[in-house]
Amino acid sequence: MADRGAQNDAVSANALDMNILREIAKKSLVDALNSVNGAKTLVLDASIAGPLGLVTEVSLLKHHGVDKMFWLEPGPLTATTTNIVYLSRPSVKLTKIIADQIKRHGRESQKRNYTLILVPRPSTLVSRILEEEGVLGEVNISAYNLQFIPLADDVISLERDNAFKELWVDGDETMIYDSAQALISLQNLYGTFPRIVGKGHLASRLAALLAKPASKASGPSSSDSLLASPVIDSLIVFDRRVDMITPFLTQLTYEGLVDELIGIRNSHVELPVSLLTPASAQTTPNTASTSQQPSAAPIIVKKESKKKHHLTTLTDPLFAELRDLNFSAVGRRLNKVAHRLDEDYKTNLQSKTVAQLRDFVGKLGGLQTEHQALRLHTGLSEMLLPFTRTEQFNKSLEIQQNLLASYEANSQIAAIEEMISQGAELQVILRLLCLASITTGGIKTKVLENLKREILQSYGYEYLPLLLSLATPPLGVLLSTPLPPSTAATIPTSKYPYAALRKSLRLLIDDNPEALEEVENDISYVYSGYAPISIRLVQCIAQKGGVLSNPAEKEKGPSEANAGAPKTSGKVHAHPIVGWKGFEDVVEAIPGETIDIVLNHPERGASSGLPITNIRK
Amino acid sequence: MDEHPTTSWQAMQDGNVFYRRQHLYNISGKLPDLSDFIIAGCRYGGPIAIMRDTSKIVTLNRAAPALSKSQVQVYSPAGEALLLFSWDQGKIVRFGWALDERLILLNEEGVYRIYDLQGEYQQHSLGAEAAEVGIIDARIHDNGLVALTSALTLLEVKNWEGGRPLTLANPSLSEPPHAWAIIPPDLNISRHVEVLLSVESTIFTVDNLESIDQRLSRGPFTHISPSPNGKSLALLTFTGTLWVVSTDFQRSMAEFETNNVVGAEGFVKQIEWCGNDAILLTWDGLAVLVGPFGDTLQYFYTGSLFAVTETDGVRVMGPEVCDLLQKVPASTLSIFRPGSTSPSAILYDAWESFNNRSPKADESIRSIKPELAKAVDECIEAAGQEWEPYWQRRLLNAAKFGRGYLDFHNPVDFVNMGQTLKVLNAVRFYEIGIPLTYSQYNYTSPSHLITRLTSRNLHLLALRVSSFLNLRPDVVLKHWACAKIARTRPSATGTGKDVELTGDDEVCKMIVEKFEQLGGTDVSYADIAKRAWEIGRISLATKLLDHETKASDQVPLLLTMKEDRLALNKAVDSGDTDMVYYVLLHLHKRLPLGSFFRLIEDGGDNLAPARRLLEVYAREQDREMLRDFYYSDDRRVESAVLSLDEASRATDQTAKLTSVKTAQKFFSEDKDRNFEAKMMDENARLLTLQQQLEKETDGKISFFGLSVNDTIRQCLVNSLSKRADKVKTEFRVPDKRFWYLKLHSLTEVRDFEGLDAFSKSKRSPIGYEPFVRHLVEKGHAKEAIPYVSRCDSPKKADLYVECGEWRLAGKECKDRGDKAKLEEIRKKCPNSMILRELDQIASTMK
Repeated sequence: MADRGAQNDAVSANALDMNILREIAKKSLVDALNSVNGAKTLVLDASIAGPLGLVTEVSLLKHHGVDKMFWLEPGPLTATTTNIVYLSRPSVKLTKIIADQIKRHGRESQKRNYTLILVPRPSTLVSRILEEEGVLGEVNISAYNLQFIPLADDVISLERDNAFKELWVDGDETMIYDSAQALISLQNLYGTFPRIVGKGHLASRLAALLAKPASKASGPSSSDSLLASPVIDSLIVFDRRVDMITPFLTQLTYEGLVDELIGIRNSHVELPVSLLTPASAQTTPNTASTSQQPSAAPIIVKKESKKKHHLTTLTDPLFAELRDLNFSAVGRRLNKVAHRLDEDYKTNLQSKTVAQLRDFVGKLGGLQTEHQALRLHTGLSEMLLPFTRTEQFNKSLEIQQNLLASYEANSQIAAIEEMISQGAELQVILRLLCLASITTGGIKTKVLENLKREILQSYGYEYLPLLLSLATPPLGVLLSTPLPPSTAATIPTSKYPYAALRKSLRLLIDDNPEALEEVENDISYVYSGYAPISIRLVQCIAQKGGVLSNPAEKEKGPSEANAGAPKTSGKVHAHPIVGWKGFEDVVEAIPGETIDIVLNHPERGASSGLPITNIRK
Repeated sequence: MDEHPTTSWQAMQDGNVFYRRQHLYNISGKLPDLSDFIIAGCRYGGPIAIMRDTSKIVTLNRAAPALSKSQVQVYSPAGEALLLFSWDQGKIVRFGWALDERLILLNEEGVYRIYDLQGEYQQHSLGAEAAEVGIIDARIHDNGLVALTSALTLLEVKNWEGGRPLTLANPSLSEPPHAWAIIPPDLNISRHVEVLLSVESTIFTVDNLESIDQRLSRGPFTHISPSPNGKSLALLTFTGTLWVVSTDFQRSMAEFETNNVVGAEGFVKQIEWCGNDAILLTWDGLAVLVGPFGDTLQYFYTGSLFAVTETDGVRVMGPEVCDLLQKVPASTLSIFRPGSTSPSAILYDAWESFNNRSPKADESIRSIKPELAKAVDECIEAAGQEWEPYWQRRLLNAAKFGRGYLDFHNPVDFVNMGQTLKVLNAVRFYEIGIPLTYSQYNYTSPSHLITRLTSRNLHLLALRVSSFLNLRPDVVLKHWACAKIARTRPSATGTGKDVELTGDDEVCKMIVEKFEQLGGTDVSYADIAKRAWEIGRISLATKLLDHETKASDQVPLLLTMKEDRLALNKAVDSGDTDMVYYVLLHLHKRLPLGSFFRLIEDGGDNLAPARRLLEVYAREQDREMLRDFYYSDDRRVESAVLSLDEASRATDQTAKLTSVKTAQKFFSEDKDRNFEAKMMDENARLLTLQQQLEKETDGKISFFGLSVNDTIRQCLVNSLSKRADKVKTEFRVPDKRFWYLKLHSLTEVRDFEGLDAFSKSKRSPIGYEPFVRHLVEKGHAKEAIPYVSRCDSPKKADLYVECGEWRLAGKECKDRGDKAKLEEIRKKCPNSMILRELDQIASTMK
């Protein structure tokens, strides 16, 4: 959900310089810190540390008077400076911790200046709680408006970990409002979005906030007549509910598997130190760039000598090459790179003349960086490999594929039950179960109750609220058929037409290993034969040809005949945005509102009915 | 008709620098005798505020009416009375002006009021502590003030929004300073306010971090006056020496003996800066301008006078006149200085010749052709510096004349200057009385000027100026509407209810029409409505509020107007969750709980987001309220989940059990929740059973809170096999799951005999392959071997391989006559010894 904005902007990445966003975030952080004079102790909400690490470094904070940093955790705070700065999201729990620490200082009659910087904006809730705790008068509250963070040059994200739960389980729509604000900031930078296309109930809430004429509210007051953006063709908004299938599947790209099995948070992955700093390479300057530390690193208590590593294509070109490969192809690619590297070393070592030698030495640094990257990714793949060989992993993949193909649904459910008896992880079980519920349109009440009972007995009765949440609308991803009469009234509208979509959006593609290579141009290769619905929906808007047929297959003939032709010729090109045209029926079948708003700006008034010119190449 | 500019000039420092005394207004008889008053002047051509100095004796007679109460009067620089109000609070210790021409009055109890020019005020306080201790003095700057308490500590207020005062570092004084001053935050490198205190012979500089003794020996000082740019200080020593020094006390700039001034009587009254490089000392009837090198110029007045420092000069108000003393600007100097041969002077001369039809004009222009562009620019610039329209026009004409000889010259400066001067001349008119200079105007911005005009209720002029300058009319319109509402009140009320209503409609219509007509689309109707509400015109406020599109502005007012439901609806519609919280928390505080819940529940689907937010808040902060809320709405499932949540937090066993039972009860009350109720029943039974188990094992083994699976495992691991069986039957654990559990548990404790016995107890429902695989996985390959023989035949060979038993695998292949399999195994085999053995087996086959 947090990445929602990202995919849309990715399309016109070449035109937008996302680094501005980082600079803005950095500058406003500095301003926020500088508003407190003198040395200060920074107390950091752990959920901001990750995103902050993508924006700034510790040295910058130190440079602006931060003396020491602590996590915002329950318990007393011992600070040496009079100024204490809390940097936190507006959450009730954290605010109570802050209030507690202030009261503690008060009891010990320590005089401190407290500043609470809230991210991204001040909150009535927080003030109220501070007031109830009786410390509001002692705290200066300000805000640090951290919005979109560029994760790559074509992905920006708000990096809000709990967005999904807040929206779908708690019904707290703060995230929608914050997203709208962030998008408005984006409009202030790049011009307004000429068109908003999307799908989903919450997506339409967001679109409504953006389309409201009163959105001037938050923009700078002088920007009275923002021009329609010359670089952004359209904003595409989906909410997660539109495609609940994809997240229940196991990601099969290299980066996806790293996330599934090791975990990627805020573009950082925790790896054993030995993988990151080889003894031989420690002296080269390049290691500094490959092992970037997030801002909060020095205060992390290191366990089992693991280290956070920033997975970014900026310093690691090899990762750019690997990240989106199907894991089955990673080994081959690594092998190829290793060979190439070897060749490079060899040819260079054969250099005879001094000039050649100088050339070689010049290249050496680059080769070593590459060498180091190769070492890292080979090591990572080795870590992943045993996981991918376990019975549980393969069994769950099998069940997933069968469910997607709607093949013998009942025996899949039996297989899930079998996995419960074998003591598989709860998360794996629930993902499979929800997947089964969505693809089959609900599990028979008796069967489902039996499965739930198995789950509760195996993993603990404390998971009953979780099961209830999964079944409750608006989430409703674990449903039974027939529905109990009381909830039946609200649910039918949200039943997911998976079987129909599978055909109309061409979701499943033959996944024999030979074909895999050839269909690389179709997004389905990332899940070894299944195309994520969300991606297909984006294609419905921006790349209609890609939904209907596989570009690679079409181009097969000519590219074989003419071996020299570049493979990219098979790519379907984007075209001017004309909304959902051609897919209206398909989209209408998916629950949730369908959005297609052409925003009329006075400057563009006349052209509103015409297709909007597209500058993408 | 108009005197030549140079007539007001006086030379200083060998005739290289000139100062001019620009006569601004004639104010004879308009002001009372200033010597009886305490005065505060506002910069940028602003008004002065005066209050009677109670330490002075005043003769009571008819001409000067008795001032029984303390009164504050405000006069424009042209001597027009702008405002008069009386003060009924504690004794005023200081008053001064904010940047936006609002008057700040601070009393000894630490209460300060901010008055606008219409006499409306806001009141703030420095806090209870300050009120107790008392305030003895303060210094007020454009955006804040610093107060000195009687405990001799310093409090700083930033902005005028009533924020909490900040305590500055304690200078640890034993007696009040002889004199003190502040350097405003925006003039300091640190961007924080700096206070200068004259203590004994030295000066302390204090900011919010530390107090530094500057270690001077020339004090004590009776006056401290920082320059407008904050870079230099003018200090007057006790002995009457004026000492100018840089703010960091590193560079001494000038010294001047005030005792030697001819005609000066008594003490120096004021030390004000004239721009940043000269200082004006005032006595009654005399002002002495001290230049940077100690040269002086004297100006005489007929009575006591008051000087206000400006960024580019100093404004002096005497009994008769209001003057501006300033250094003659460079451009003006270069044109009008006698004998000047600068290109601009020649250009001006040429234009005059041209007007006189003299051929000299052409000749002059030719002589300065290469520098003509610069001369034109200088003439434009100089026009801005002139007070009289006559000279402005002449200089602009000269510039225009010069422009004609240029092939290319950007006209923007020329046009802008013309526009600006038109505006400046308009506001300088004595009825308006804002003697703003060109550089002050540039410094403070046109919109600042507009605000100043509106605050004087000069809406028409403000509107014309803003449309002339292409500024948005919003600010003016908003102010106008507020003023309109305040003014129309008398005519609308008094003749019955109906009349008032139609009056409201009329005013509302008038305001809306005016806004639409003048394009004030961004005006906040809420602000205006708020104003209407404040003065008690509720129906008008409601009408105006309907035109507001921004919820964030509408909602707070609706709440104050007690339009609760409307406020909540608007907040939800805005999508701003913080706004919803604002309303919810506000209502929660104000309404009785019952009606608060009813309000939310009656809202239906529309208010669902508000309901969810309330739950999020209450779950963390006010669970009691949440329980009531669920209960009052008959939401059994949520109540149950809440109980379960409490159960998970409970540390006490009985509490946990009770919570689970409560949850069970809630579930059972909902007929669709049979399953959940049953599960919770099981849960409660399990917890009781676990308590029992703990008792049986004398509390040595902990069971409480484990899942069914873990309970069984715990039993098995601790050799309570019978108990495990009992749990199994009681909770109807399926055989398969139980077998896996037992397999895992027994392997964990390495009870291989037990495992063997168990495997033979009956036919395994999960087969024997899991036995082999699990044992191998856990590193007990040897123990796994016996189970292989009980697996399905086709898999045996592979399973043997997994156990590392290559020979047995080979044998198995042989027994089954499966040559292909053998070949496959051969390929995988790890060393040559095994390979040989396998080859041997292969050879015996067939």
